[in-house]
Order: sequence, then C-alpha cells, then structure tokens
Amino acid sequence: MHFFARLLLPILLAVCMALTAAADLCAEVRIGVIMTGDIPYYQAMHKSFVEELTQQLGSRQKVEIIVQKPFPNPISWSNAARKLIAFDVNLMVTYGWPATAAALHEKSTIPLIYAGVHEPDHAAMAGKNVTGCGYKVPLSSIVRYLKNLKSFQTLGVLYSSIEEDSVRQYEAIRGLAGQQGILTRKIDIRSRNDLAQLKEHSPDAVFITGSSLTHLWIEEILALLGQKKIPAADILPHPPESEVLMTLSHPPQPQGRMAAEMAGQILAGVSPGSIAAHTFRETELVFHQGAARSLGINFPIHLLIEATRVVR
Amino acid sequence: MRQGFLEICRRHGLVALLLFLLLGTTGVSLAAEQAEELLIGIEPEHNIFDQMERYRHLADYLSDHLGITVRLTIMSRYGEGIMRFKARKLDGAFLTPYTASMGIRELNLDPVVHPVGLNNDLTSKGYIFVRRDSGIRTAADMRGKSIVFVDPATMEGYLFPLSYLQQNGIHDINNDFSRHYFSGSHASAIFAVLDGRADIGAAKSTVFKRLADQDSSIRQELHIISSSPAVPEITLCVRNELDPQLRNRLARALLEMDKNLRGQEALAHFMALRFVKAMASEFVKVEAMLEEARPALLEAGGQE
Repeated sequence: MHFFARLLLPILLAVCMALTAAADLCAEVRIGVIMTGDIPYYQAMHKSFVEELTQQLGSRQKVEIIVQKPFPNPISWSNAARKLIAFDVNLMVTYGWPATAAALHEKSTIPLIYAGVHEPDHAAMAGKNVTGCGYKVPLSSIVRYLKNLKSFQTLGVLYSSIEEDSVRQYEAIRGLAGQQGILTRKIDIRSRNDLAQLKEHSPDAVFITGSSLTHLWIEEILALLGQKKIPAADILPHPPESEVLMTLSHPPQPQGRMAAEMAGQILAGVSPGSIAAHTFRETELVFHQGAARSLGINFPIHLLIEATRVVR
Repeated sequence: MRQGFLEICRRHGLVALLLFLLLGTTGVSLAAEQAEELLIGIEPEHNIFDQMERYRHLADYLSDHLGITVRLTIMSRYGEGIMRFKARKLDGAFLTPYTASMGIRELNLDPVVHPVGLNNDLTSKGYIFVRRDSGIRTAADMRGKSIVFVDPATMEGYLFPLSYLQQNGIHDINNDFSRHYFSGSHASAIFAVLDGRADIGAAKSTVFKRLADQDSSIRQELHIISSSPAVPEITLCVRNELDPQLRNRLARALLEMDKNLRGQEALAHFMALRFVKAMASEFVKVEAMLEEARPALLEAGGQE
C-alpha cells in the first residue's frame, strides 16, 4: 500500500497539473458588446474588432462574444448593460457614447472598452476600469465646405436629444454656423414619426450628427431631403450608393482594431486604467458627384482636389 | 568679321556693300520679330482659374504698353518653370521664393520686380501649424504623426519645414512621420490640417492670412508652431539673354504702372498696389535655409 501510494502520488499530481494547464490553454472568456444602435458604422467597427481579436488570441483562448443591439433609447441601453453584467462577462465593449454612458452608469467592476465615441475628451468617463478610443471630426470644416458648395442661410441639424454626443455636436455646429451668420434649425429625431419634421421644414442645407436614431432611418431621411433638393453633410461614412453630398468622417475599422488590441491586453491581465485612451483625428473627406448632380450643384475643381475620395 | 567685310568691299565694291546692308536690315527685322512676343510662366495656385484671370489683366496691360504680345502660361506644378524654363522657351516667370532662388543660381535668371500686395506686403513667411486640439506643440510631439507639405519646390511649404525639422532633430521624413504627402497648394495644406486629414501642415503666411480673414474659425482652430524669415513672395525673373532694352522697358512698365489709371486698374485685378525692384541679394535667406535643409532633402531622396 505504502509502495502504491508513493507511486500514485506523483502520477496524480502530474495529471492534475496537466489538466490545469490544458484548462488554462483553452480558458473561455466572455465579452459583452453593446452597440448604441444597429447601424452600419458600429457593425463595421465590430467586424474589425472580432477579426483583430481572433487574430490576436488565435487558439489560445476561447472567446464567446455576446452582442447587444438595443433599439436606441436610454432604457434599452441600460437593460443591455445590466444583461451583460448578469451574464458575468469578463469584459464589456461599447460602441458610441450612449451605450458607454449606460455601462458606466451601472458602476460595475467589469473592465470597459469604448469605441466610436465622438470627442471622448468631452465625455466624462474617467475610471480605473475604463479605456478605449474615439474620434474627432472638425465640424467647422463641414460648415466651410457646405458654404463653398452652396450659398445658404439656414442649416437644419438632424440630431437626437436622447443621445448626449449628438446634442454636443448640435451645440458645436450651432456656434460655428452662428459665427458665419448662418441660422441653425434643430430637427430632433426620437422616433420614426419625427421624420415628418423634414416635410415641414426646408432648411437650405442639413448637417447629420452621429446620432444612431438618425442613422437607423438614414435612407428615408435622404429620400425626403432629395425630394426637396436639400444637400446633406454627415460625420459618419456612407456606402457609395447612399447619396449624401459630403461626408467628413473617421473610418470605423481602426477603432475596431484598436479596441481589440486593448481587449487583448486586458485579457492578458493589464489593468484598463493603465492603457492610454486614444482619439483618432484623421478624417476622410468624400464628395458624392451623383448627389451633387441630383441637387444641381457643381463641385468647384478647387474643392474636388481636397477630397480623399470622389464618388462618381 | 570686320576684316572679312573690308575684303569683300575691296573685291566686289558697291554690290557687296549693298548686299551686306540688305542682310543687316533683314537681321534687324528678324530680331524685331523675335521680340514681338513675351512668354511668361506662372506657378499654379489653389484656383488656377482665378489666378489666370488676375494675371490676364496684367498681361493685357503689358501687351498694350510694350507693343508686343505678352502671353501667359501656367506651369503644371511648382518648380516646373525651372526644370523646363529653356525647353518651354519662357522669357520670364513669376516665381515663388525657392524657385526664384534656384533660377537665379542655376539658370542665371535676372530678378526684375516683386508685386506689393493689397495689404502693403511684399514678403511671405513659411508657417508650420497644427490643430490647437492636437496636443502637438514641439517638434518632438510631431514624431509618428502625419504631415502635409505643399510641393517640393516651395520654400514655405517644404524647404522651411524641412529646415525646422532638421534643426529640431527630425532628419528623416520617410521614417519619422506616419505619413507625409504633398497637397499641391498652400490652401490645400491648410484645409488638410483643419479637416484632420493631416496632423501637421506647412504653408505660406499670406495664404494663411487670406483664408483666416475669410473664415474666423481658422485662427481659432490652428496653432502656428514656427514661422520662417520673410522673403519676397513673388518675383518676376527673366532669362539673362533677353534683349536688355526689352528687359528695361518691361521693368519700367511694371514699376510705373501704379502711376496711370489703366495701370492702377490692372493692378487692382492683379490684387497688388504696385511693383518694386527686385535684387538677387534678397534670396540669401532662402539659400541659407537650403543649406540647413540639405541633409533632410538628401534623406528624403525620391521626394526631391
């Protein structure tokens, strides 16, 4: 017996160690993701996030990603955050400020990475469990280019009063337009019914903020604007078939990739508070010649040469 | 030549003399024909249509005043005037500081006049600027960022920033920046930084001021990190072989055009108050900048 015990003990220990190591090799982590709205910008960001994370982790770690795409309103964002906390995810990733704000509001100890937040420096999101990346689009450039394309007195601003970042963008553009003697007209989109405002108002041009609600119905909005021959400028990118006269935006992919890099570090044990947040400032200026033709606008050659891309 | 002439006279007498006089007259006539047109090159600005319109009034005035056709041609890009001055048979060109300096040094071009701008400004400076919210304040902060230059043949938009970077320990634009590119015009470089399409930009002060006067957000949003010494912004340089009489008539016509009504009108279209005499010594500062930037220019290699 004594002999067998002496022989078995090391074997048992070795088996236990091997099992522990094997478990570590394939440890499963859960990442919870909340999109402020199910819009192409955040979808593209998430696609890049998943691709980059898969590449980073390889087969070392099994990852389960739980994606929440609530209808954009404060209760849904809050519920989505609570669900992920209840799922006991290891890490939360949020796209857009409203989803980020909802997750922060829960004061959970789960590490949080945000992406797709416009001007994150202006949003209050300090905390040792938080890091992430956002972008900044200079709104003054939007006013400048619109002015170069068309003489206008009134600028309609499509925003959503329930999305704080969108409100900030409205306030900023109102100040900038005011400096140029341009009147701004609020067009608050909180539900689909609010699109009717576009039938009532006819501003000379329209600026579309990064609001998720607005972008949920963007094709309908563009159709309504097209009927009235009102040019539109957006700070989120659009596919070529979408006839927005001008976009000045930051592409979603780099933010998705950076969020994945941060996730990789956090899963490896780095504290989120020690990972520097980042604001992307590079932008892409896209002019849509098809939209310009429909609106009867000619792009001056000196403007066209500024464009990163011209959709013909 | 003189001996030959006397020999002919001795041998063929009056016939030869008449033939010589006839040939001489034809020669004079040919020379006059050659001077019936002046071809002047212009370096391109942001909006070449506006630019052509500005220069057209000046060319019309000179054509009438000199009794010869003054034709303008826009060079395809900065510096082309220097590379193709001879090939394009240019008699002169309105050149920016770096190309004027190169032309004087390499082609022995003769600087004639500079226009004085509507704000009584004769010179321009190079500016290096960033967005105020970029967090970039020194050359050290610039590493790893993107930078937009104007054109390799501009003092304000390439030579000066290279010289500044060289002095501040950044020697290789290919490796010290995430990206660098040439916008092709000063205004484009300014818009690129304003829009966030580049982190750092370089352009000339006069264009910066003109745009900022039109749009107050430009001064609010851009921060100038460094500025170069002032040098003449535009100089009309002519080829050294140009008939000295024509060269002097051209200079006089330009220097005196603010003294008559027709000239004042042409100057107003040209957006200048008057012309003043130019001297080669004014380009010493550009040459000094070139010396400072030379290692960086060599490092940049293919971009030159």
